[in-house]
Amino acid sequence: MGLEARGIHFAYTPDKPVLQDVSFDLEPGELLFILGRNGSGKTTLLSCLNGIFSPTSGEVLLDGRAIGSYNAVERARKIGLIPQLHTPTFTYSVREMVLMGRSPHLNLLGTPGKEDQAVVDEALETVGLVDLQHRPYTQLSGGEQQLVLIARGLAQKCDILLMDEPSAHLDISNQYQVLEMIDQLSKQGLSFIISSHSPNNALAYAKRVLLLQKGRVMAYGELEETLTEPLLSAAYGLKTEVIYKKENGTTTPRAILPRRPLAVSPETLKDPDSDLSCILERSCETPQLVLVTGLSGAGKTTWCKGMVEQARAKGLKVCGLISPAVFKDGWKVGIDLMDLAAGESRRLANLRGEILTGVGTPKWDMDPEVMAWGNAILAEKPDCDVLVMDELGPLEFFRKEGFVNGLTLLDQKKFRAAFVVVRSSLLPFAQQRWPYAHIVTA
Amino acid sequence: MTTTSRTKRSKASVPSNDPNSALLKTRQGRLTVVILAVLPVFLFLVSLALGRYQISLNDVGRILVSTLKPELAADIPETARRLVLRIRVPRILAALLVGGGLGVTGAAFQGIFKNPLVDSNILGVTSGAGFGAALALLLLRPMWQVQLSAFIFGMLAVALAFFGSRMYRSSPILVLTLMGILVGSLFNSLTSLLKYVADPLDTLPAITFWLLGSLTSITWDDIPILAAITVLGTVFLWAIRWRLNVLSLGDDEAKSLGMNPGRLKIGIIAASALVTAMAVSVAGVIGWVGLVIPHAGRIIVGPDHKKLIPASVSLGACFMLLIDDVSRSLLPGEVPIGVLTGILGVPILIVLLRKNRTGW
Repeated sequence: MGLEARGIHFAYTPDKPVLQDVSFDLEPGELLFILGRNGSGKTTLLSCLNGIFSPTSGEVLLDGRAIGSYNAVERARKIGLIPQLHTPTFTYSVREMVLMGRSPHLNLLGTPGKEDQAVVDEALETVGLVDLQHRPYTQLSGGEQQLVLIARGLAQKCDILLMDEPSAHLDISNQYQVLEMIDQLSKQGLSFIISSHSPNNALAYAKRVLLLQKGRVMAYGELEETLTEPLLSAAYGLKTEVIYKKENGTTTPRAILPRRPLAVSPETLKDPDSDLSCILERSCETPQLVLVTGLSGAGKTTWCKGMVEQARAKGLKVCGLISPAVFKDGWKVGIDLMDLAAGESRRLANLRGEILTGVGTPKWDMDPEVMAWGNAILAEKPDCDVLVMDELGPLEFFRKEGFVNGLTLLDQKKFRAAFVVVRSSLLPFAQQRWPYAHIVTA
Repeated sequence: MTTTSRTKRSKASVPSNDPNSALLKTRQGRLTVVILAVLPVFLFLVSLALGRYQISLNDVGRILVSTLKPELAADIPETARRLVLRIRVPRILAALLVGGGLGVTGAAFQGIFKNPLVDSNILGVTSGAGFGAALALLLLRPMWQVQLSAFIFGMLAVALAFFGSRMYRSSPILVLTLMGILVGSLFNSLTSLLKYVADPLDTLPAITFWLLGSLTSITWDDIPILAAITVLGTVFLWAIRWRLNVLSLGDDEAKSLGMNPGRLKIGIIAASALVTAMAVSVAGVIGWVGLVIPHAGRIIVGPDHKKLIPASVSLGACFMLLIDDVSRSLLPGEVPIGVLTGILGVPILIVLLRKNRTGW
């Protein structure tokens, strides 16, 4: 018994599916967290469970019966919704708000009676808001408002509560208060489905997690199977790390954080303790990709040059392309392209027109012949230890032009160690494409 | 506004574990209820005595009782009897019904539109009715046809706004509000067109006067249908008072609390539109009541529609009656009601907004 979703599909317009083949089940007293990026379909999924939308295909079973066969009142006695915090137009008191939870138990023209008042008393007692019951709801803090909405769900006397972003707009103390309350209620047998933007809250409170990506289930199950670095990195399109803490002899995951680019200089690579030192020692077991990033002028090319020198000093063979700028009177007037293996250099681009002192964006006349020459160098599997590519830009990522062969090399992992320069704005795309890459900022 | 300050104090003194609505449990709360219930009756009696023909309150009472026991008023001139029973009573009843109806529909519309700045005219009822009346007056129709035309066009305007909004799939409340504004503007323009072509010596003054609102021409013939529709509509809104509370939280929450907001709203809009169209068709265009009264009601009894609906009826009826009393006693001729509701409504709303302890 409980709630079961089987292969739900949903689309607002037929050509744009929002949910595709979403399946899960919910046991009594379970705390299921739905995680995923903005627009991954979390709220839509809740709406499908709550009968606000009905799935275009697939079915939701509530206590073994299709949810569509329940009428609104029957459903509201089983499933309640705790919406995202919002300010109601009219200043109902706390008690009046909670009393509204009795609606599915009243007849069409009814108003709450003594029994309903008693249920409300109990709900207010449970969440500890008896003293605030006559205060206007709108004057309460965000955490208290969230507790009022939970009390309303309790007064509704349903088995399952759906919550949309219970931690949104709350400071960590209020989040803690609300989530602890939810945890205790779930231990008494009430089930929760919580759509959340906080993987950390899921880590702390969830029994199971449903990880959504673009409307599809990316992972579903226990925490150990779902809240892993590779899955979280892929689901959020962001390199993510799980921090473990050793306590009382057991090691448990305690935090999920985005992995920020490491600010390392090429010299750091010499440090034998560095994760990347194996690149310069030929001792890495798997291909290592390092994305060198930074804003324009941050020194990405300089970083690569430093790396190339070091690698050569260690007797490693370096190949690939770098494109140093050509300066005249302190102004960047051209870009060279250098084949690192052969040491041959050709002019890739020249500044169009006059040098304008810092006005506007410079326009570059690219030489297509040199571009093709560079691309041809990357055509085959390079015979070297370290592959350097400076740089892969929008041309390669989005238009499949320029040094597009470089992308293929990287996709097929035809290298032992690679240093690839990517501007900051393109970093998310590069990370999504090669989630295993190390990132350093110049 | 003594009631306001009393209620303010009563709210602070509510015992914190009071299980029921505070209104009937405290002394001040009970006093509020009694005042709201008695005030319309009291004003009804006082208003009967008001007017250019002086009749004492005592005589008024005797005249009223004389309908059952004719011998009691034997010494009162027949003119006074006729004036009270044939002219003042229907006019005052109409004022109470129109005011109560506009007050309660204002509260209902504010509830379902989740917007405290909405009034009974949000779906263009008044504008439609104004056009209907202007059309009939232009065609020199008798009064009952003017009223009928006003009523029909008032309902037509609501139907246009409502079904127009159905053309869009999403965000129905916003689209409905927009449609109401559009339909209202359309009918206002059409009314202006009629005024432009009307005979400036004959029909134009008639149209202008009607649009300003008046209860002068009310007779006993108007009362039964006005009373029937207003009372039925009010009873319906009172019956679903709890659902109005839940609807005012928004459609999604209402659905998750087991309601069918779509169907409920159709019922509420239909009932409110009927009551408003009826009120406007007998009394002309009267603004502000539907906006100001629910505000005053919320300050006195709170936002719970269980209390707000009766409070809006009572306050609306009293407000309208007072306006009508001023209208017929202020100047030798009559000051149009629509003008007075605006002149008095604006300062009252400003005061109420200042006192308002709502969040917005």
